[in-house]
Amino acid sequence: MKIELTSHSSHIVIVITGEIDMSSSPELRARLLELIHKKPPVLFVDFTSVSYIDSSGIATFVEGLKGMMPYGGRLKFVSIPPKIAEIFGFAKLDKVFEIHGSMDDALRP
Amino acid sequence: MKDRVRLAIPSHPRYLCMVRDLTVRMGKMTNIREEEIEDLKLAVDEACSNVIRHAYKGDTTKRIVVQFRISPRGLEVVIDDNGLKANPELIRGRDLDDLKPGGLGVHFIKRTFDCVEFDPKKRSGNRLKLIKYLTGQL
Repeated sequence: MKIELTSHSSHIVIVITGEIDMSSSPELRARLLELIHKKPPVLFVDFTSVSYIDSSGIATFVEGLKGMMPYGGRLKFVSIPPKIAEIFGFAKLDKVFEIHGSMDDALRP
Repeated sequence: MKDRVRLAIPSHPRYLCMVRDLTVRMGKMTNIREEEIEDLKLAVDEACSNVIRHAYKGDTTKRIVVQFRISPRGLEVVIDDNGLKANPELIRGRDLDDLKPGGLGVHFIKRTFDCVEFDPKKRSGNRLKLIKYLTGQL
């Protein structure tokens, strides 16, 4: 797994490439919580190149979202591949996370 | 003769990718439907992650043995460890309406496999037996 931070319209975008599993999710957790500590109003996560996610990866994002909720921050997922979207749907997290087809969609108020 | 394949890995998360790769190959050789192969991969991965997390309490120096057996009816996966004994009655996923980290792995395993059971005859450690029947072979 590779994590890159980019910006889009002055927002932070976390671009993840590869597999998010029990081996890589601790690194993702550390990076995500470090960003959330600065209380950004919105964090975008680009899933375009994510090939796999397990329950530890999902738990990392749930923890991140719960860290943003108290100050009203928003965690937005962009371009989730169909299989990963299905997993979020099964876990009833598609209604919890903000999921968008593209960055342009995600940037609409 | 039934086809069997055995993989032994150290109980370190970095080796789980090998389990996933082999699971995909075994699923394809069993003729499990393409759209179910990803579920199969996730479920076996979650079962092995649970061994590291719960049976071995994060100890990465132990061993996990994963055995696959292809039969005309489907695919059997048997996962052995020598860790703390699991209590099957206490193993349940979290309420999916309850937003909290963790507790999803069991749901992923149970939605994929037709049979999920611990072997009560295993004296030390755990033997988890998972069976996925081919469509129409239940």
